Amino acid sequence: MSNQFLGRQMVRLPARAGDGKGVRTDPSRHDNSAGHAAPADEAEPDARFTFANERTFLAWSRTALALVTAGLAIVQLLPPFPGVPWGRRIIGTPLILLGSAVVVISYLEWTGRQRALRRGEPVGRSRLPGILAVTIAVIGLVAVALTLLSGVTRH
Amino acid sequence: MTTPADDIGDDIEDADPGLARERTQLSWTRTAISFAALGGAVLKSRPYAGISILVLSALIWKLGQVARASGAGRARPRQLLLIAIAVTAVSIAALVIALLGPEPSGLRP
Repeated sequence: MSNQFLGRQMVRLPARAGDGKGVRTDPSRHDNSAGHAAPADEAEPDARFTFANERTFLAWSRTALALVTAGLAIVQLLPPFPGVPWGRRIIGTPLILLGSAVVVISYLEWTGRQRALRRGEPVGRSRLPGILAVTIAVIGLVAVALTLLSGVTRH
Repeated sequence: MTTPADDIGDDIEDADPGLARERTQLSWTRTAISFAALGGAVLKSRPYAGISILVLSALIWKLGQVARASGAGRARPRQLLLIAIAVTAVSIAALVIALLGPEPSGLRP
């Protein structure tokens, strides 16, 4: 949702930068974002862009928390796989690792986007949906394999 | 700068990003609730870790409520870095519990 918002607004940014309405050009506002001083061709973006970028990061951080919670719940709460004592850890540990990777990558993407917004450049696409889709698909396949293996070794 | 009345164009938020600010505050609140849910889940088996996460969630909620009047809409890298570090720390703790903790029997039906 936040990604779409950001993308829709970015289409309008070049026109808005020209009329001086969408982008603030007060020089005193140049030195705050992402911890380093900005060159002269950068300007503090419209507050809505900054808010939207922030919400996108926060949404990814919640996704990361959900992954960590799910991984922990699988290891701690799921009944053990009969015959496969390490089965729950094999499924839960990658989910926890994926959660920490998601929050780190999304913070880096937030930094890059904020820089792109200050320079009036396109924000680009996120890599996270692809990473998330592939990793969760692999974990799902592993879970299927473990379930089948557990059924075979029980008999 | 132009007055708010001159600024209203095709988007009602051109005059004041109040709704965007509100959405962002609500997003912070949801993040804090996610932390609190995880803290509550951890609380039963590991009380100290659970209480720490609950305190952290209160702090995150507070960060989201901070009045932005002095710098509305400016980037807040430190606050977001705190979230990133907090989630990473929680995931490391979860990893330690998952790999080194006792072998639980799981929830019985």
